[in-house]
Amino acid sequence: MARGIWRVAIVLLVVLVAAFTYPGAVLVSMVVRLTPAPAVSSSAPQGALPWLHVEHPQDGSPYIADDRNRMVLLHGAIPGGLIDFWNNSDPSRADTPPYYPFDAGAYDGQCPANSGYMPVPPLCQDDIARMAALGFNSMRLALSWSLLEPQRGQFSGTYLDRIAQVVEWARAQGIYVILDMHQNAYSRFVGRPSTPALPGGAVPELRYYTGAPAWATLTDGFPSTTYSGQREINPAVLEANSNFWYDRSGIQDEYIAAVAFLARRFKDDSTVAGYSLFNEPLPGWNLPPGFEDLLLLPFYRRVIDAITGVRDGLPCWTGFYMPAICGYPDLGVRDQRHLIFLDAGLLRHVMDFPTHLGMPVSSYPNVVLSLHAYTHVFSLDHLLGIDPKSYPWGGYDQTYSLAEREARAINAALFVGEFGDFPSDDAQILATELLEQEQHRVGFAFWTWKENCGGTSTWGVYQGIDCGQGNPASEPPNGCLRVERERLLARVYPRASADPSLSYHYDSTTGAFSLAAHGEPGDGPTLVWVPREAIGEVVTSGAATQTITISGDGSRLVSVSPSGGDFAVSVSAAPLALTGCS
Amino acid sequence: MRDRAATRALVLGLLGLPFGVFAPFAIWSGGRSLRRIRISNGELKGATSATIGLVAGIIGLASLILGVAYWFLAS
Repeated sequence: MARGIWRVAIVLLVVLVAAFTYPGAVLVSMVVRLTPAPAVSSSAPQGALPWLHVEHPQDGSPYIADDRNRMVLLHGAIPGGLIDFWNNSDPSRADTPPYYPFDAGAYDGQCPANSGYMPVPPLCQDDIARMAALGFNSMRLALSWSLLEPQRGQFSGTYLDRIAQVVEWARAQGIYVILDMHQNAYSRFVGRPSTPALPGGAVPELRYYTGAPAWATLTDGFPSTTYSGQREINPAVLEANSNFWYDRSGIQDEYIAAVAFLARRFKDDSTVAGYSLFNEPLPGWNLPPGFEDLLLLPFYRRVIDAITGVRDGLPCWTGFYMPAICGYPDLGVRDQRHLIFLDAGLLRHVMDFPTHLGMPVSSYPNVVLSLHAYTHVFSLDHLLGIDPKSYPWGGYDQTYSLAEREARAINAALFVGEFGDFPSDDAQILATELLEQEQHRVGFAFWTWKENCGGTSTWGVYQGIDCGQGNPASEPPNGCLRVERERLLARVYPRASADPSLSYHYDSTTGAFSLAAHGEPGDGPTLVWVPREAIGEVVTSGAATQTITISGDGSRLVSVSPSGGDFAVSVSAAPLALTGCS
Repeated sequence: MRDRAATRALVLGLLGLPFGVFAPFAIWSGGRSLRRIRISNGELKGATSATIGLVAGIIGLASLILGVAYWFLAS
């Protein structure tokens, strides 16, 4: 009898472990793969930006497309003005309140003063107009969970209104917004900056720690000390991340509820391209590939289930360590018209190499894999101080070509959700990344729009203000527009095309552009954006005709209607009309 | 007397579910243990552990192969 009970107990244990681990994950992924996608079609109201979706061609990679099934390339930047940064107005406090106002009224027709206490300037209406002037048709709007749900279960309508205000500004400029649930090193509430560091470590510089609210930051008394100069290598950060992935005290459920709160507001807004569910997920104490396959991807599945209502998983209990097989209850939002951007795990971005098996996440069709391309910036060669010529093995192309395969494996489109570099490296790193993006036909979000302090070392499109001068509580909104970044980022590019296999190249040195595509009669026109900086002649040849719309600032939108066959669009070389500080 | 490889197979089998690299060792230990128990004429015990370890190992290895194969086939 006792032996029988023992046998049953062992069998149950094996079944339970299997459900929580790879057998469960593989099983669910196969079920997801076989589950038909929900059929959704919708047209945006007159004058609104078209809804975007992911198109799944039979014989090619999925891509982001508009309502005429044209491939859409999103170019944009990432402003940090809505992030809940720690500010050093009182360095003795780890829990300083948000510095910039989050009441939308404070931005109506005005812009609060910039401050050197904060890592970035406030985000104002003028910023969106400047993005549009550079030819950006999208932005990844970085948000903070700590402002969305400052107290457990209490969501901030004020913050939501502020987000809606930025979306409204973007709509007026024809810019899509990706709502990005941003975080770095989990939370700014992981530990006090004045706490003495442990031996071998350093006191954390909380300035760039963002994300979770204090109530969801469970560090279990682990010390907040950084090692190797990396904010993520911090016992308190690793513990807090682990607790999130294991849904300790239901904090992951609260996060999902916060995303649902966001989605409920923007469900019917086509200006919002979609939601980026979690920025640069850090595994905590977990290791790849188990972290991604058994914790991260199931988490993504749960969020998608919750906000879209697709039923490809199994609703499960909450408040307990969640097995891979669990889906999530439909939270009633039923948002099935937005893109869902999924960041790969942080270590994948560091490795430029997949750190997971890449099994299907969801039957929801509008999934986008968000690549963070930081080759030679945060990749292993840089972090370990090894010769950049020796890693990554495949050079800059490695991360893109592998990411294309990773995206196909999970039935997702590909997008560069983040990339950036020190301005001094632009000629090498930024120029090469942009070239790779052209060759792989992927859009981008550039980190970052503006950044304060340290004129030459900041990463913004604009120079940072010099925080060592004047009153840190009242600074100019930014330094000059960096000419080299204007040269590289204000690009001639196809915004939309019915040919997802087109090829194109913009030479930011000469201003010359060339595009080759194929079209059928009746296909939607290929739209080529020519920023004011590129002043060469536009010529269309082959089986297509062009119409050019010129804006007040001199930028041109070329609409090329195919008549059946191959066609080409070119912009002749001409000195760039860079504006810089003017 | 209990066959030591039976317990080892069970532990490796459980480890092989989250970490597929252990799965082949679970299969090897489980199979070997079962063979020894069978020819011991009742002197050695632990057939249940060995069997469960063997089965868990097979499931873990199959999951690993399926998962990796899927990556290559689907991408």
